[in-house]
Order: sequence, then C-alpha cells, then structure tokens
Amino acid sequence: MGIMLSFQEVTKIYPGAEHIKAVDSLSFNLKEGEICTLVGPSGCGKTTAMKMVNRLIPITSGKILIDDQNINRMDTIELRRSIGYVIQNIGLFPNMTIGENIATIPKLKGWDHDRITEKTESLLELINLPPGEFMDRYPKELSGGQQQRIGVARAMAVDPPIMLMDEPFGAIDPINREHLQDEFLKIQEKVKKTIVFVTHDIDEAIKMGDKICLLKDGKLVQFASPEELLTQPVNEFVKDFVGGDRTLKRLNLLKVKAAMSPAPPVVMKDESPEKAKSMLGELKADHLFVVDNENRLMGYVDKEALSKKADEVGDVTRSTDAFLPASSSLKDGLSEIFTHDLGYIIVVDEDKKVLGILTEDGIKEILRK
Amino acid sequence: MQIRLFYPFIKKFGVMAATAIIVILLYQYYGALEYTTKNLSEFFRLTLEHFFLVIVSMATAASIGVSLGIIMTRKGFERFGSAIMAIVNVWQSVPSLGVIALAYAFLPLVGLSGIGVVPALVALFFHAVAPIVRNTVAGIQSVSKDVIEAATGMGMTPNQILFRIEIPNALPVIMGGIRTATAIIVGSAPLACLIGGGGLGFWIFTGIALMDMGIMMAGAVPVALIAMLFDALLARLERIVVSEGIQSGEYQEA
Ligand SMILES: Nc1ncnc2c1ncn2[C@@H]1O[C@H](COP(=O)(O)OP(=O)(O)OP(=O)(O)O)[C@@H](O)[C@H]1O
Ligand SMILES: [Mg+2]
Repeated sequence: MGIMLSFQEVTKIYPGAEHIKAVDSLSFNLKEGEICTLVGPSGCGKTTAMKMVNRLIPITSGKILIDDQNINRMDTIELRRSIGYVIQNIGLFPNMTIGENIATIPKLKGWDHDRITEKTESLLELINLPPGEFMDRYPKELSGGQQQRIGVARAMAVDPPIMLMDEPFGAIDPINREHLQDEFLKIQEKVKKTIVFVTHDIDEAIKMGDKICLLKDGKLVQFASPEELLTQPVNEFVKDFVGGDRTLKRLNLLKVKAAMSPAPPVVMKDESPEKAKSMLGELKADHLFVVDNENRLMGYVDKEALSKKADEVGDVTRSTDAFLPASSSLKDGLSEIFTHDLGYIIVVDEDKKVLGILTEDGIKEILRK
Repeated sequence: MQIRLFYPFIKKFGVMAATAIIVILLYQYYGALEYTTKNLSEFFRLTLEHFFLVIVSMATAASIGVSLGIIMTRKGFERFGSAIMAIVNVWQSVPSLGVIALAYAFLPLVGLSGIGVVPALVALFFHAVAPIVRNTVAGIQSVSKDVIEAATGMGMTPNQILFRIEIPNALPVIMGGIRTATAIIVGSAPLACLIGGGGLGFWIFTGIALMDMGIMMAGAVPVALIAMLFDALLARLERIVVSEGIQSGEYQEA
C-alpha cells in the first residue's frame, strides 16, 4: 500500500514566539490504513503537528503531502472535509440532535435525504448505539463516552480516508477509556483509515499505534512500531519515557497466539470413560480436556469424575474457564496461568475451538527475542 | 402525582384569573370602564398607536441590534466591537425620559422634526437596542470554543458556522436581550405622547394632569396588559425558535 500521509521537514514557529520551534523539521511517512500515535511530554508539539494536517495551523516551512498532493495547494474547505477530525472535548453541536450532528457535512455536501439517513444509521450501528434510540436525542442527554463515540461517528460521516484525533479519549475515565479504545480498534479493523492519533499517554500510544512518533521539544526522537520502540529505544529519553516496565508493556502488546505451543492430547466427548482413564495413565496427568466433534472445548475430566458410571466422557465432563482467546494479550495470558495454577492455559479461537496451550516458558521465550 | 401533573395548568390559569380580577376591580373602582366605553373609538385609536410604537421600535431594535452584535463578534471587528459596547453601555444608563428629551432636542439638528411619531420611535429604538447588542455579543461569545473548533476542523465555512452553530446556540441569550428590550420599550412607550408620539400614554398623562384616576387607569391598565402580552408572546416564540437541545427543562411563561 502506498504512502498516504507524508510530513517533509515540517516546521512551525508561532508568530510572537519566534525563539522556539513548536515543531522542528518533522518528517515521517504513514501508509494507508495505519494509525500513527503522536506522543511526547506536554508542549512537545503534538497538537501543533496534527493541526497542520488540516490547516487549522499554517505550516511555517516544509510540506505535508496527502496522497502525493501538497495540502497547501488544496482548497481548505475541501481538504478539511476529506479529513475526519475528533478533539478531546468532543465539540458536539448542542443545538442539533445526534442524527443532525453526524449529518452535518453530508448535508453541506448536498447528499440526498435517503443517503444521509442510511449513512447516519449505519454509523450509529458501527459505534454500537442503536439508531432508533439515539438518532433524535440531543448531546446533553448522552454520557461522556457516548458523546465521544458520536464525535468519532461524525468525523467518519463522509468516509474520509484520513482521520485526526487529538486525545480523543483523554477526558474519559480509565475504565471506559479502555473500553472505547478496544471498540475503536475493532472499528478500525473494518474501516482501515489512516489516522494521526495524539496522546500523552505512552500506554495508549503503544496500544493504538501501528507506528509511534515520539516527539520532544518539537523534534522527532523515534519513529517506530510499538514493538521496536519497546525493544530498541534509541536513547535514554525514549527509555525513560517508555518507562522501566518495558517488558511488562510488551506483555500487553504481544498476543497469546505468538507464544502458543501445540495443544496437549484431548479427549472427544463421545469416547468411553475407560479410554479416558487409560489416557490419563499414559500421560501421567491428573486431568484431560474434553472437546466436541468440532474440536470445541467443553470442559475437563479427572479421575474422580471418570470413576462415576457413564457411557460417554461427555456425561461426566466438568466445565472450566481455564482457557482464553488467541487474540488476548500475553499479560492476560500470564494472569490466567497464575489464576488457574495448572502451569498452562488452553488457547481457543472465537468459536472456542482448541488451538494450543500457553505456558510460562512460552512467554519467557518470546520475551527473550 | 395527579395534582403535580396539573400544576402547570393551575399556575397558568391562576395567573390569568388573578390578572382578570385585578383588572376588573381597577376598572370598576375608579370608573375607568365607564370612561373607556364612552370613548371607545379613541380607546381603539390609542391602543393601535401604542401597538404600532412598540412593534415598530421593537422590530428595528431587534434587527439592527442583532446584526450589530453579530458584526462585533466577527474576526477583525473585535476592537471596533468593544468601542461600540462602551457607548452602548453608557447609553443604556440614560433614563427613558432622558432619551425622549434627547430625541426631542437633537432630532431637529439633523433636520427632522422633534415632535411626532418618528422622534418617539427613534427614542424607543435607541433605548432598546443596547441590551440586544449586548446579549447578542455575549451569546455568540458563550458558544464553546471546542464546538467552533470542531466545526472549523470538519470543513464548515465561517458563514455556515455563524448560521448553523453560533446563532442557534446563542439564541436563548439573544432572546433574553430581546425580552429585556421589549420590557424597556413597553415601559417607556407611554412617554411617547409627551413629544406627540401618541399611544395610551395620552390617557395616563391626561389623567394625571386632571387628577382623574379613572382616565389614568383607563390608560394604565391596558398598558400593563400589553406588557404582559408581549412578554408571553416572546416566551412562546423563544420555545419555538430555540432548539430543544439547549432549552433548560423548566420554563417560565409569564
Ligand atoms: N497559538 C500559539 N501561540 C504561540 N505558541 C503556541 C501556540 N500554541 C502552542 N504553542 C506552543 O507550541 C508548543 C507546542 O504546543 P502544542 O500545543 O502543540 O503541544 P502538545 O504536545 O499538544 O502539548 P499538550 O500535551 O500539553 O497538549 C508549546 O511550547 C506551546 O507553548
Ligand atoms: Mg495538545
């Protein structure tokens, strides 16, 4: 995929503050569909860098290209309408209903009524707010989290290929923030926008970014993938900024799938209890996981369960929650391993089909890489 | 629960009934009713003149005041705006009678008659325009910066932002200014007759001059009713034009 957004030696000096470069010859390229998180200490120029993309702030020198076109050569209004814009304080229009808020730019673009309704409804569905319930409500009647989701939907109303988001979840409490982040990543999987995402929170930057752009005093310190930033910080500043718990952060970032080992023997639910008993003996194990005909995890059996009279293993299977999806983070995986005290945990896919197991050794090995 | 449901109605009709009783008592007690029925055609003429004074000065004050207020909030006009604001504030502290006197004294200097309907309208207009300008400016300035930034960043033009965002969100405050202005106009309109502007003030001042409470009440009571009517109409108008999204739940209707 091609370069969607390109910063080339972009510099910003504010009038009246000539002695400092708010952004100092910043260069980086962003591919289509990538999220780039701009992160760094307060005042490092994140917001300034972002707002130059939709020309809310004029560039002092250098240039920004979108799809190889210099943004300074484009019509300002057209440029802005082709870029979704989400700010920390949301800025929903209080005088308009949710539907009208989302439909603002489509209306100005002269879309017909049916197309607008269709788009608004599908966007509300995308952000998990039932259109029937929310379309005609006013911003003041919504919670902060709901308002922020509307802000995101409004920014996506005309399907802009690029989105700019300035601390979009900054004003939301930590629990809901995490939820919104997850939800947003799910949406991004579907819509594949090219996104510049400003945050001052390194954890959020790592979680949300395909690329992280770490700034200090207007200068680019490191531009790298989250994994690279964590494993190969270019200097002490990056190390400090990322924090002493780099390894734990990697646990958060890496997925269970990457550290998984092959599944141990399992028993089908329609096997006889005798067969299961002999398997236990052979494996010198004290329990066996049971799956159905399609390899879906059903639970486990141990000696005690198998000593009961039954025709099939399935009849004496006990349920278990010692499993987790392959898409979970290694941090969750590690936590589950400790919780269940088996020394490992079963890894399943979305249909609960057994894929493998996760062990402490597996985790250690991948962290050593 | 049931009673609470009817509370707004009780309140509304209670106010109306109380007003009606007071009006009837005043009319009966001072013999104003007799005077009015005897001079019915004059009553209608004066009432019409009064409405004319109020409506025309109100409409001009509202349209010019709101426009001025908007201009003062546009980019590049801020400095010019604060100058006008200072003038407007000083101006508003001049009492009604003073404004009428000023109109009488100064209009001839610009070649207009100091006597009649026109100077009365000019005086009322000048007196009412101040709160409208002030509230328009305050209303537009009170629209959240984040809302404006979101609108700009989304690609709305300054005009679209003005008409779709700034004015609609400033409306409750602007309407507040218009209601204040109306109260001022309705309150000052009786003075118009002092410079030949006509209206119900004529009976009030005649009554005072003759020390006849009947004639005075025949003018004063309808003036008070007109004031209440305009305030109620504006409250109703406000409910219609102001978006539900920014109306405060409990509304006071006069
Ligand atoms: N309008 C302005 N005029 C002058 N200087 C400004 C202006 N806006 C920002 N600056 C300066 O430019 C620098 C970068 O500011 P910017 O807002 O981009 O930082 P930021 O990284 O977004 O910070 P934060 O995390 O606090 O939001 C700061 O030193 C700031 O003081
Ligand atoms: Mg910022």
